[in-house]
Amino acid sequence: MWLLSLRNQMPIKCLHTSLALITIALLISSCGDSQEQSSSDTEDTNLKVYRHAMDQAPTSLDPVQAANVYANFIVLNTFDTLFSYKYLARPYELKTNLAVEWPDISADGLTYTIRIKQGVHYVDDPAFANGQGREVVADDFIYSIKRHFDPASRPQGAWLWIGRIVGLDEWKQAGSDYSAEIPGLQALDDYTIQIKLKKPYPQLLFTLAMGYSALVPREAVEHYGREFAIHPVGTGPFRLISYDTSQVILERNPNFRQEPVDIKFEGYDPERHDYSGVATIDGRSPPFVDRLEINFIAEASARWSSFTKGDEVQYASIPNEQVDQVLASKRPVTLKPEFAEKFNFYAGTEAGFIFQAFNMDFPEFGYNEDPERERRNKALRCAINKAYAWEQRNESFYIGLGKVFPGIIVPVAPEFDPDLSTESITRDLAGAKKLLADNGWTAENLPPLVYGANSSVTARLMFEQFRAWMKELGYPTEKIILKRFATFGDISKAWKESRLPFVTKGWGLDFPDAENTLQLFYGPNGSPGSNDANYKNPEYDRLYELASTMLPSPERTEIYHQMNQILIDDCISITGLARTRIYLWHKNVIAIPDREIVGGFFMKYVDIADAEQPDLTGSGSR
Amino acid sequence: MNAVATAVVRRESLWSKAFYKFSRDRTGMISLVFVLFYMLIALGVTLGWLASDWSDVQGGKWEGMSMTYWFGTNMIGQDIFSRAIYSTKTAFEVGLVVALIATAVGAVIGAISGFFSGSWIDEVLLWLMGVLDSIPFYLFVAAIVFAMQESPYAMHVAMISTFWTGSSRLVRGEVIKLRGLEYVEAAHAIGVPELTIIFRHILPNTTHILLVQATITFVAAIKSEVILSFLGLGVKDGMSWGLMIAESSQEVMAGFFNNFLAASVLMFGLVMAFNMFSDALQDALDPRKVS
Repeated sequence: MWLLSLRNQMPIKCLHTSLALITIALLISSCGDSQEQSSSDTEDTNLKVYRHAMDQAPTSLDPVQAANVYANFIVLNTFDTLFSYKYLARPYELKTNLAVEWPDISADGLTYTIRIKQGVHYVDDPAFANGQGREVVADDFIYSIKRHFDPASRPQGAWLWIGRIVGLDEWKQAGSDYSAEIPGLQALDDYTIQIKLKKPYPQLLFTLAMGYSALVPREAVEHYGREFAIHPVGTGPFRLISYDTSQVILERNPNFRQEPVDIKFEGYDPERHDYSGVATIDGRSPPFVDRLEINFIAEASARWSSFTKGDEVQYASIPNEQVDQVLASKRPVTLKPEFAEKFNFYAGTEAGFIFQAFNMDFPEFGYNEDPERERRNKALRCAINKAYAWEQRNESFYIGLGKVFPGIIVPVAPEFDPDLSTESITRDLAGAKKLLADNGWTAENLPPLVYGANSSVTARLMFEQFRAWMKELGYPTEKIILKRFATFGDISKAWKESRLPFVTKGWGLDFPDAENTLQLFYGPNGSPGSNDANYKNPEYDRLYELASTMLPSPERTEIYHQMNQILIDDCISITGLARTRIYLWHKNVIAIPDREIVGGFFMKYVDIADAEQPDLTGSGSR
Repeated sequence: MNAVATAVVRRESLWSKAFYKFSRDRTGMISLVFVLFYMLIALGVTLGWLASDWSDVQGGKWEGMSMTYWFGTNMIGQDIFSRAIYSTKTAFEVGLVVALIATAVGAVIGAISGFFSGSWIDEVLLWLMGVLDSIPFYLFVAAIVFAMQESPYAMHVAMISTFWTGSSRLVRGEVIKLRGLEYVEAAHAIGVPELTIIFRHILPNTTHILLVQATITFVAAIKSEVILSFLGLGVKDGMSWGLMIAESSQEVMAGFFNNFLAASVLMFGLVMAFNMFSDALQDALDPRKVS
């Protein structure tokens, strides 16, 4: 009403003048903003920033949901674990992180007493009293592990400790009451943790180096509720600034503890690492950069473009279609001079593998009430395995650099057997056809094989290649059926629900121990567990249980080899291939960015060379 | 005297005049030959005479053009020429199914809507067409394809669901014009049921419109199939030019263009030929031009 009356009294000319003045005022104020912005940008140029690139974004930054490498990159840099991996040592070696020293382990291997560092504080956050991060105490670890057994947390890492810790499973069955104590998970004082196991668990310390076991403060979890997944509050070297599906920005945690790097202890080898300049971080306390920007760029070609055109991202893998343009040679991997001038690179076998497996729950291929049919099913599986052309797949999709190996003990595992017979990975089409014929299989009675694939072009081509091999075997084309899934998550769900007779998947090692791949076929781990093949072999399970309580030894390795051979003989799985990873990074980035097993741990050691530092123009590979 | 003169004059139908005009249209005839050629290829593939090895892995990775592989091989060693030829069948199959059903559905609904124009039936049908037309096409198709992802005919259903509205609007307009003519009023007067009037006396007189509209829908369906297959929403199991172009997106950076060229050239040829054929047909069947 007041405005209306004012407008009625105001002459039109005066109104125009006012509008013009307002417009000028807005323009001036926007100029002021841009000046401020510009000075802020200038300030930013003094920051050390490392810009990383990955193909997917994590869906949660909560350690209880850190189920993949993408989430672990953020979790391991914003939170802390009791143990971690040495930066450069290969084979991978554990070291203490929040733990003061190696745990005291009782003679029977059942009780672990772990002391944690004093004076470690969480980042400042409104969740704490006065907004100041409090000191980490042993109870935080107890709480963090308990969360994996509380369905309300929607945890994904409980499988690491199910049936292992005294009273933990019972605590869950009793309703996950956080005020109730667990006999096997105790804080003896503020800085001492005691874990009591039901039976020896030699891989326990490995699990305490995984993002799942990162320590979280209860008050922050309760303060943010479900939003804790996007509000990480930890003690890691960095703290979160922003997070969306295209980028995560972390900045240096100003309260991070001062722990100078002993580069020799971390596994530094001048011959292998000198080119990268990592020797310059010796004696200095990480983190070395002020800001980490992790960009999520789905398309390999787009990542490559961002990497090569400037400083948009400083790290990338080579898209398959660019390999011939970038590499001077494949064996050994070397870069062409124009790329070697600008980039460092790392080439190494992945800590994992890709494989296919038959779902034994399907009577057409696996277990059958009729023993005769079950015997013929085994012959069918073995024939399909023999018709599979691993070398061709390697050439088509992995630029011929993948490492094809028999069984499921991967090349980077300490228990890998390089002398194992390669018969199971050598194509023998005539032998495969004979096996089918000898066991009464004909084109008419072969069962339909449903092959699940996501909607990507690569997945489709992999299916077509498989179908072509099966056609050569005598399998009618129309019986190899493609079932498309929109996303990897959808097909993964189908495997977990045992809806597909044929599983095609990859597995990355959680820790450097063959147990991590052998458990993929352990009976009790059947769907929805990690045993997507639903393989149940009493002898295999007995050996697994026997080995699971043994410390690394030649005897345990021998048991692992026996289990591996059982899988090969039963033709459960068509396996396997470990991919060669080739990563490139800009010369001014001082790092060895190997993400296998170590995951995001390497990020805290990344440094950016400034003008005064020596020219780091070498290049090399693992 | 007049009666005798009328008997002497030779009567010509719209169809015979249209055929005469079309046969004199050089562009139309050339395009028809092209379309028939593609149709023969599609028939040959359907009968298993051509490109039966489209899914076989025969050669090495990304082999160049040769006498064995006219368009080279793809990433897994499949013959690109065979795949491009096989895709002709896919294009014809999708084009024909969608064009026939969408045009038929559009004709029936358009005729009913036009005959009862101004009534609540017309209002409801117009509202339905308006709703379908207002949804962005590819968004709508993607929604249907995702909802029916198990079915190999999801793409067909999606396209038919949207393409019929164009035919329907055209037929509605024509029917509104026709229902005012004397022969329709005469039918009313002698008590012919309304549905009989629509389907026996009016709809046959819109055939020239439907024929042209079907050819336009055919081309639109082929183009949509290629785009949907490129996006991973189209052909489930088989081969299509869209899938070949999607494959090529991984290859062009490596300097290998054969997949892209083979699919694009064949698709361009068919779409161009059908467009010209459609134009010539439209000219030939236009009553104003035929007379």
